[in-house]
Amino acid sequence: MEAEVEFDEGEEPSFSDPEDFEDDISDQELLGDVLREQPQEADGIDSVIVVDNVPQVGPDRLEKLKNVIHKIFSKFGKITNEFYPEADGKTKGYIFLEYSVPSHAHEAVKNADGYKLDKQHTFRVNLFTDFDKYMTISDEWEPPEKQPFKDFGNLRHWLEDPDCRDQYSVIYDSGEKTGIFSNDVKEPIEVEERARWTETYVRWSPKGTYLATFHQRGIALWGGEKFKQIQRFSHQGVQLIDFSPCERYVVTFSPLMDTKDDPQAIIIWDVLTGQKKRGFHCESSAHWPIFKWSPDGKFFARMTQDTLSIYETPSMGLLDKKSLKINGIKDFSWSPGDNIIAFWVPEDKDIPARVTLMQLPSRNEIRVRNLFNVVDCKLHWQKNGDYLCVKVDRTPKGTQGIVTNFEIFRMREKQVPVDVVEMKEGIIAFAWEPNGSRFAVLHGESPRINASFYHVKSNGKIDLIKTFDKQQANSIFWSPQGQFLVLAGLRSMNGALAFVDTSDCTMMNIAEHYMASDVEWDPTGRFVVTSVSWWSHKVDNAYWLWTFQGRLLQKNNKDRFCQLLWRPRPPSLLSQEQIKAIKKDLKKYSKIFEQKDRLSQSKASKELVDKRRSMMEEYRKYREAAMKMYQEQRPLRLELRGGVDTDELDSNVDDWEEETIEFFINEEIIPIGDL
Amino acid sequence: MKPILLQGHERSITQIKYNREGDLLFSVAKDQFVNVWYSVNGERLGTYNGHTGAVWCVDVDWDTKHVLTGSADNSCRLWDCETGKQLAVLDTNSAVRTCGFDFSGNIIMFSTDKQMGYQCYLNFFDLRDPQQIEDNQSYLSVPCSESKITSAVWGPLGEFVIAGHENGEINQFSAKSGDILTKVKEHTKQINDIQTSVDLTTVITASKDCAAKLFDSTSLEHIKTFKTERPVNSAAISPIMDHVVMGGGQEAMEVTTTSTRIGKFEARFFHAAYEEEFGRVKGHFGPINCVAFHPDGKSYSSGGEDGYVRIHYFDPQYFDFELEA
Repeated sequence: MEAEVEFDEGEEPSFSDPEDFEDDISDQELLGDVLREQPQEADGIDSVIVVDNVPQVGPDRLEKLKNVIHKIFSKFGKITNEFYPEADGKTKGYIFLEYSVPSHAHEAVKNADGYKLDKQHTFRVNLFTDFDKYMTISDEWEPPEKQPFKDFGNLRHWLEDPDCRDQYSVIYDSGEKTGIFSNDVKEPIEVEERARWTETYVRWSPKGTYLATFHQRGIALWGGEKFKQIQRFSHQGVQLIDFSPCERYVVTFSPLMDTKDDPQAIIIWDVLTGQKKRGFHCESSAHWPIFKWSPDGKFFARMTQDTLSIYETPSMGLLDKKSLKINGIKDFSWSPGDNIIAFWVPEDKDIPARVTLMQLPSRNEIRVRNLFNVVDCKLHWQKNGDYLCVKVDRTPKGTQGIVTNFEIFRMREKQVPVDVVEMKEGIIAFAWEPNGSRFAVLHGESPRINASFYHVKSNGKIDLIKTFDKQQANSIFWSPQGQFLVLAGLRSMNGALAFVDTSDCTMMNIAEHYMASDVEWDPTGRFVVTSVSWWSHKVDNAYWLWTFQGRLLQKNNKDRFCQLLWRPRPPSLLSQEQIKAIKKDLKKYSKIFEQKDRLSQSKASKELVDKRRSMMEEYRKYREAAMKMYQEQRPLRLELRGGVDTDELDSNVDDWEEETIEFFINEEIIPIGDL
Repeated sequence: MKPILLQGHERSITQIKYNREGDLLFSVAKDQFVNVWYSVNGERLGTYNGHTGAVWCVDVDWDTKHVLTGSADNSCRLWDCETGKQLAVLDTNSAVRTCGFDFSGNIIMFSTDKQMGYQCYLNFFDLRDPQQIEDNQSYLSVPCSESKITSAVWGPLGEFVIAGHENGEINQFSAKSGDILTKVKEHTKQINDIQTSVDLTTVITASKDCAAKLFDSTSLEHIKTFKTERPVNSAAISPIMDHVVMGGGQEAMEVTTTSTRIGKFEARFFHAAYEEEFGRVKGHFGPINCVAFHPDGKSYSSGGEDGYVRIHYFDPQYFDFELEA
């Protein structure tokens, strides 16, 4: 009580602020921790999507619409909130949906954008957060700034070589150096050589216009007379590239840069502008190229689980906005001649395996072939797209082991007739003649490997032309012009080479390039190069140049040689008639060429003789000077050896002691093996 | 050209050398034997016994009185050529890699390996002063701290030693002061062998960098290069033709991984002026470690990793052969 009294009695201080007081402490300072958790206006909108092109309905059908929308969009996650704006008793044609987490919203945008509800309604799905992005786009279209024209000179300069020399790129010094050479019978002519031009390897574009080099930061394209840089594609950690056959686009792959919302594993670029056209996700690069191009470069396709996605250029969008659903699709490939895709599907319970040929963009199935007891199929197109061979490995009922059939599709005939060649032995290699109707097969088991040549006649009959038995070969390399081929036993087979003319099936030459790892025909089929790459073998790295008949022209030893690639040529501009006419007058031309060859040969031998003569001259000069000094030093020599003249072997014959040596002669047979 | 096979070693041959007249051929190997043969028929005259380790080098003086050998048993030994008697043992701290008599036969040099914590030294002894031998006290000892000597020969008139080093350098060491008179680096890898022409005016080097090169002995001016695809272990200059012979092949440690066909264990003949190869001689089934021309130029010998020494007499065609010029 006393205390209370005291309290009451004491003067109470006033704690209240004056009327006009304003403190200068901000809320932030006072309750920063609380404020940080304050809900923001934008919170949660990450999970909101906007769907456009939704049918406009009255209240009577709203419930039905909601059901449909739910069905479609709840696939991507739980929808926590929805809003159907209305005007004049009808929905406005766009709706807002909110998911529980932003990732579901992303998923919905990725998959439901472009969803076709019916003929009139195709959904456009966007993130609500992208609203700002689209708002800022000006309604006025501004023409892009005109890029200054850069003149890189004649990009096909190399084709104007008066002697029709082909070029090739060589990487050596374990990748340190890259050179471009013009092929010549005598010796390679250096066109360009640069240190550290590429960090891994190089690629030529399909028509030879560009040379692509690889760098940590991307790809560079070079071309023109002096190999100037023409284009750059920045793609961190790029590992693989692939050109479209028309050279308009290039596809690059990097395992580094992929993120969830910004696909960058695979990027498609426009070669001419250098623009990034589209990025894709990619989990594995195991089956490069992942995108396969149609021969005209209008379409490209990719296979994923049970789907085949075909994209079109230049929009880079899905053809007809949707992928093909093909359950179990195992492999596909484009015809190199037409916009036709071949793909195959393995057996599934009662449904037989199936090879389908599909025309594009119509998606007409022009041929379907059912196959039974299939283990594996391989699709081999002839280079012009005239034939397709499907190598089918089967395990027929009642037999043991695998038998192989070749199913030969004749593409140029009505209904695409199919003929079958049965092979009794295991297949090691198969290859079509590039411009013809023959194919070569390596079959059997090592060391009994046989090479057989077949001819597909126009009536469908497939003739076995010839079989060479016991070949040392594991690869077939046809000349790009057909008729000639090289059977090669690469790597483990020590580099055995057989040069075959298939017109009469003769072995033109049998040779060896020990430990050869690669065989490369020049684009004209005149020369072939065999090489031992440092990438596969560490000694004797070299490339050897042969004629198509197997005559060795050059051995080019390059220290730690890695790779040789011929520069491709664009297709000939000559018509079939013109080519025929040239072939007819070949005798006339060959005379001119022979004379030219003789001239250059005599010139070469003259050059060699001249070179030797000057080297000898120089050497003689040196020897004379050395001998002069030698003679001058004669007194010194005599002094050092106590006056004995030892300048000539027989200069002191008088001092010689005669000695009799008995020759022990016996006969001995020394077997001279493969020493 | 059927070769004479000399089978007197159990391990790979390290060096062979003819005497001045060429009637005798000395051979040393990684076994402990030093052999001497009649070059004309391949009969063995005798051995010099005493070394207890691989013998790396051998030399004989101009009048075939003394023989000098250096070994991995850390000694350099002097022998009486005729009797085979050991005249002196010069003990060292590490293996003796190269040795040689100077032009007069009075001064010897030998180099030791950089090994077991010891540096590489180039030592000079004057045989006319018995005290030096007795005390094992060289009159000149040149340390080579940078890169060890892997091959060495005397220059003309005994004024200097031309030494090839592990790093590819070639140095002239004065026999009086030990100073480096001239220095060149034309090779990128170890120099396996240096040999002089018969008149000592020119030397040829054989290097692991797959090339052999000709130099002027006095100026060390580079004259010619002979390129191959294999390490070159040894090279020699023909006394009568403008030819050089080179021996080599895949290194011993890598041989097991390559077949003989690809090891390229052939002796290869190059034209000295044109630098062009014009012939090969097969026979060894391992790398060739040393080659030597007979002083009359009518035969040559090679010693291989396979332990054989082969004496080859040239066919008449060899002497008629000319490259077109």
